[in-house]
Amino acid sequence: MDLAGTAPTGVSPVGARPARRPHLRRIRSLARAHEHHLWVAGGRAAALVPLVALALTMVVLAWKAWPAARVNGLHFLVASTWKPGSTYGAVTRTDGVAHPVGASYGAWPVIAGTLESSLIAIVIAVPVSIGAAFALTERLGGWLAGVLRTAIEILAGVPSVIIGLWGALTLGPLLANDVYPVIARNMPDLPALRFFKGPVGHGEGLATSGIVLALMIIPIIASTTRTLFAQVPALPKEGGEALGMTDWEVSRRITMPWVRAGIVGAAVLGLARALGETIAVAMVSGSLLNTVAPNLYGTMGTIAATLVTQLDSAFVDGTGFEVRTLAELAVVLVVVLLLVNTAARLIVRRAGGIAAPVGTGA
Amino acid sequence: MTGSTRPWNRALAVVAAAALGLAVLAGSASAASAKAKPKPKARPSGIENPGSATISETGSTLLYPLWNIWVPAYQQLFHSVSITTAGTGSGTGITDAANGTVDIGSSDAYLPPADVQQDPTLENIPLAISVQVIAYNLPGVTAHLNLSGKVLSDIYQGKITSWNDPAIAAANPNVSLPDIPIVALHRSDGSGDTFIFTTYLSDTDKAGWGTKVGYSTSVQWPTTPGALAEQGNGGMVSACAKTVGCIAYVGISYLSQLLGDGLTYAALQDGKGKYVLPTPANVAAEAAYFVKKTPPDGTISLIDGPVENGYPIINYEYAIVNTKQSSASTARAIRSLLEWAVSPKYGNSAQYLSQVSFQPLPAKLLKASLAQIHKIR
Repeated sequence: MDLAGTAPTGVSPVGARPARRPHLRRIRSLARAHEHHLWVAGGRAAALVPLVALALTMVVLAWKAWPAARVNGLHFLVASTWKPGSTYGAVTRTDGVAHPVGASYGAWPVIAGTLESSLIAIVIAVPVSIGAAFALTERLGGWLAGVLRTAIEILAGVPSVIIGLWGALTLGPLLANDVYPVIARNMPDLPALRFFKGPVGHGEGLATSGIVLALMIIPIIASTTRTLFAQVPALPKEGGEALGMTDWEVSRRITMPWVRAGIVGAAVLGLARALGETIAVAMVSGSLLNTVAPNLYGTMGTIAATLVTQLDSAFVDGTGFEVRTLAELAVVLVVVLLLVNTAARLIVRRAGGIAAPVGTGA
Repeated sequence: MTGSTRPWNRALAVVAAAALGLAVLAGSASAASAKAKPKPKARPSGIENPGSATISETGSTLLYPLWNIWVPAYQQLFHSVSITTAGTGSGTGITDAANGTVDIGSSDAYLPPADVQQDPTLENIPLAISVQVIAYNLPGVTAHLNLSGKVLSDIYQGKITSWNDPAIAAANPNVSLPDIPIVALHRSDGSGDTFIFTTYLSDTDKAGWGTKVGYSTSVQWPTTPGALAEQGNGGMVSACAKTVGCIAYVGISYLSQLLGDGLTYAALQDGKGKYVLPTPANVAAEAAYFVKKTPPDGTISLIDGPVENGYPIINYEYAIVNTKQSSASTARAIRSLLEWAVSPKYGNSAQYLSQVSFQPLPAKLLKASLAQIHKIR
């Protein structure tokens, strides 16, 4: 509402605070004259915010983590002990960095847990998401598609803590009572399949974490894939049908190759979410620090879950070494995410952009 | 917007201002009437008048249920003190008090020496005596199993993995033990309960647990099949309730939840090797031995004393407080609240403590605690 602009003179019609008006007008006319520059400068500043935020986060994390990284060494990535040392014991120094006597950290179990649970999630989520997207764009029409689409969107918006709670209270025990025993019993007793056999636990563990993660990333992958499918032009598909292809052949030989690179991208989005998901996994994994799951159902921990469950007790370490080690762990997670992202970009490039030649391999 | 609508704005503003004024008047009137109503009854003797202040507390989930009983009772005497409490685990309680984020940190463990070195004005004030029970979920076994420190240590090291292990059977000749895998629960947060429990394991299995793992508010838990880490005493009880074969160390203030969830607790070995339950008499016997040894600053573990009929895992519940407070009024309110809490007439009376199965401070310790409380300035 531009009062100053519409008033006939600098004197306000009701005479309220006339002294302030001219300044306001001058500022406004200045702003109008330089509107373009303001717009560009504002846009640039806004564009810089994410970059600066990312850089600052990384710098602060690295700054915090560096002393711990020096003491823990490369050994940190492969060792399996998470040993805070006794905060009631003496304080000692290694390379000038203070830490409790007996502190020794290895993150391999939680690194492995992160990769394993995300792998399970992606293996479940990708086929389900592609199926759902395919059904939405090609098979279901009208109100049913609308309902399903809305359901997927709502699932995407459910806070992870709620999914975690449901996973811990309902899904986990259900799987442990009715599903895992069936899988463990019926899996052939081969050395390669040992991982699927053995005690099934009580609902918290690797398999449950993977399944909960899958539920959380399905909406991400499915909605992206649905958009991709919708972008495939009708002409090649109709051409395929004209050549006598079945629906299955059209989707496999025309639609899928058309969007393959995009689907890899969608899967990577989902994978990144799974790798970094925190609270839901903390609630259904068992939150262990020292244990690589002995089989598919065993309890374990992930990097992100460890950060959230251990921060409190880390503050008890008066030397601050455990907090630094958690910062180092956070850096490891960021590096894992970067590696996954880079790998995905390479795959996408090799798969060749969105416009794959029609009928490749047909 | 044109000039013609502006009077409307002014009219609206006037109406709004009038409404606001009325609301403020009404608010202050009701506040005044609220203030006028409750008059403190008789001034409680021996308790400083706190004045008006806000006190915050975080920490031990074991002490948390007692705070929830204490605070309303204290506020009935002193309306002008507002108190917030939170069960966050002793680790957070210690850290928050050390950092000055809260006024009182609750802990089942005394302060680590490094913290005291860093912050010489921090003190741990014993408030009451608590007990730790070893709970388990074994359908069909209602008896209190006999468990020794060595057996518990072996369970938590993954050396004993089934409930019908010969080592457990030998101590329980009259119980038919099921062939159920043991699921060992531990705390994921920094916890005074972990400190007490691991101190007990270190004391009773010096060569094993004592050298390999040691004691602290969080330790490197050896790998055991199906192990679970849970947050807070509440998390331990609810996880144990849904996990058949579980074993968990739980503060006695969760005894009623524990029994309500169908869990049972174990008898442990006293100083003479006899298995005893955490009855008030057995706890008092253990406490009597350690009270004599307790230094004025209350820093001591009450674990596995050489006492006949003494239950071996008990502890002081501490308030971690900085003696140097930023304001005299906060210091006065903290003193008042803690004086009330340790007083045998008020906070330490059976009326409150029996609800969480705690034991009151013995006279010698009461004196020491009061001396510590009076240092808060």
